[in-house]
Amino acid sequence: MKPRVGIPRALLYYNYFPMWEAFFKELGAEVVLSDLTNKKILDDGVNCSVDDACLPIKVFHGHIINLKDRVDYLFVPRLISVERNEYICPKFCGLPDMVLNSVRELPTVIDCTINLRNSYSSLRKAVLDVGRLFTSDYRRIYMAYRKAAQNLKFFEELMENGATPLEAMRGCHSAKGEYRYPIGLIGHPYNIYDNYVSMRIIDKLRDRGINVITQDMICSTELDRIARGFSKPMFWSFGKRIMAASRYLIDERQARGIIYLVAFGCGLDALVGDLVERRIRKRGIPFCLLTIDEHTGEAGIDTRLEAFVDMLEWGGAKECL
Amino acid sequence: MKKEFYLGIDVGSVSTNLVLLNSQRELVYRDYLRTMGQPIRVVQQGLKNLKDKMGKINIAGAGATGSGRKLAGIMIGADVVKNEITTHAVAALDANPAVSTILEIGGQDSKIIMLRDGIVSDFAMNTVCAAGTGSFLDRQAARLQIPIEEFGDLALNSKTEVRVAGRCAVFAETDMIHKQQLGHRVEDIVYGLCQALVRNYLNNLGKGKDIKPSVLFQGGVAANRGIREAFRRELGMEIEVPPHYDVMGAIGAALIAKDAVRRERRTSFRGLDVSECQFGVRPIECKGCANMCEIIEIVKDGAGIACWGDRCGKWSSRISKYA
Repeated sequence: MKPRVGIPRALLYYNYFPMWEAFFKELGAEVVLSDLTNKKILDDGVNCSVDDACLPIKVFHGHIINLKDRVDYLFVPRLISVERNEYICPKFCGLPDMVLNSVRELPTVIDCTINLRNSYSSLRKAVLDVGRLFTSDYRRIYMAYRKAAQNLKFFEELMENGATPLEAMRGCHSAKGEYRYPIGLIGHPYNIYDNYVSMRIIDKLRDRGINVITQDMICSTELDRIARGFSKPMFWSFGKRIMAASRYLIDERQARGIIYLVAFGCGLDALVGDLVERRIRKRGIPFCLLTIDEHTGEAGIDTRLEAFVDMLEWGGAKECL
Repeated sequence: MKKEFYLGIDVGSVSTNLVLLNSQRELVYRDYLRTMGQPIRVVQQGLKNLKDKMGKINIAGAGATGSGRKLAGIMIGADVVKNEITTHAVAALDANPAVSTILEIGGQDSKIIMLRDGIVSDFAMNTVCAAGTGSFLDRQAARLQIPIEEFGDLALNSKTEVRVAGRCAVFAETDMIHKQQLGHRVEDIVYGLCQALVRNYLNNLGKGKDIKPSVLFQGGVAANRGIREAFRRELGMEIEVPPHYDVMGAIGAALIAKDAVRRERRTSFRGLDVSECQFGVRPIECKGCANMCEIIEIVKDGAGIACWGDRCGKWSSRISKYA
């Protein structure tokens, strides 16, 4: 029987799943996904994780509980850095420890360390270490990694053409509708693309005829180019992308407004949010910060979204009065 | 030709307001009711009051707003169901076309709306905390055994400044008790509370915003003269309170409805007899998936007219709008 590897549909699932999936499949494993985030997953996650964790971390714990009894392995990589001289949120670095500490009766947790801050050698080691769990054939591991990297590239290209990660994973291009104007939606991918957490914010905006552009729908080289122009380097990979995207959206895509979705209790969002907001306000572009946490009612988000869109459209429809 | 009127209903967490405007946009009727957690009953009561007072009139359009706007909208068959920000801005612009800043403090939420050249350019609503809203003032007034109507006037008698922490309702209360025990006069403490509330509001909502005159202060709390005074001193500019400050949301809803009806040339308003219909709600716990959505079905005279609360649309799509 094929070994079953469980991948939680949370956190960096929205960035890397096609790569992970291909890698494990090529190694002969069966990839099992947790269910889409739902109330039970959220409740389980909130109940089992430490109090002061942020919402996405709690959601991740819920996904672990959802998966753990159906798989032989749980894939919870320890990500320290995914780009040269940059870090990601420290909670990712302690993620396997948090999970092992908070959830009982876990299957084997694959917690390879990825730290690309200084060099790519840790990636090589991680790939080999994980690969050896399934095969002793080095060539096969190498081929699996190549396939995985190809998949990731293809996936990212689809997103850069305007697909959300979920659309790109289905292999389809974005739902190209007749959009009236573009707005920017920025924030951590696991907040904006998880339909339960974000309360379907993308669909709601698209239903109103708005072309939603996120930081992942912008070419990475463009974002890097803008980031090099920052007065100080931004050492958080996600923060860098979010900040660079807000500029790109205004300058190159004529976004009529920017919405930043933040998770309550996120230190990075608190800092980057303020930097982004100041910059956007200086440019006179409408900006809206939406905070979500586990208690957030949909009505509150809807009211703010509705008011924001009304505000964007008011200029064009003055007969309103 | 019969005179035309436009109805606006604002169903808030604490109060439900009804207004009637004539075709010259003048307010001809207003009613302020406490919601008391029973929005359906209170909307019906409001319509009944309206009918008793005004008799048979031609309501050419109706709009709903407030946190209970969806419910009210379905019940009365509103032409527009609008969020509070937009309705408050529309009403404020009608009251004073030169308005640049709207301060609005209601029962459980507060907002600030910035306008430039008659267009909303920015807004903020309180996020996770309801400290410094009407409910909190209500509670403190009750604790000090001062009728809420006299609360603000009492604050104006204050001679000495007493600093009360305004960051959090719980701390503010602790602080106030402490000041009382030290022997500070009640009016000083009450004014200290007004200042704390204003400080908190400006720190939270006004952060980074360019507050320019004309400033309009509306919402139920605008009745409180102590708060008005605290705003005036803190901002260093005159604060204008529109005559119908406490029903501005409803006025805005009526104005937008008037406009929508002019464009659509018809109204979907069900008529004032709605107050005699039997409305009810049927809670359904959907077991279709792990979300276990709590669905609410609105029932009018035994027939379902609307459904909401589901995430997937399975229930809400069953009944089309205003069936």
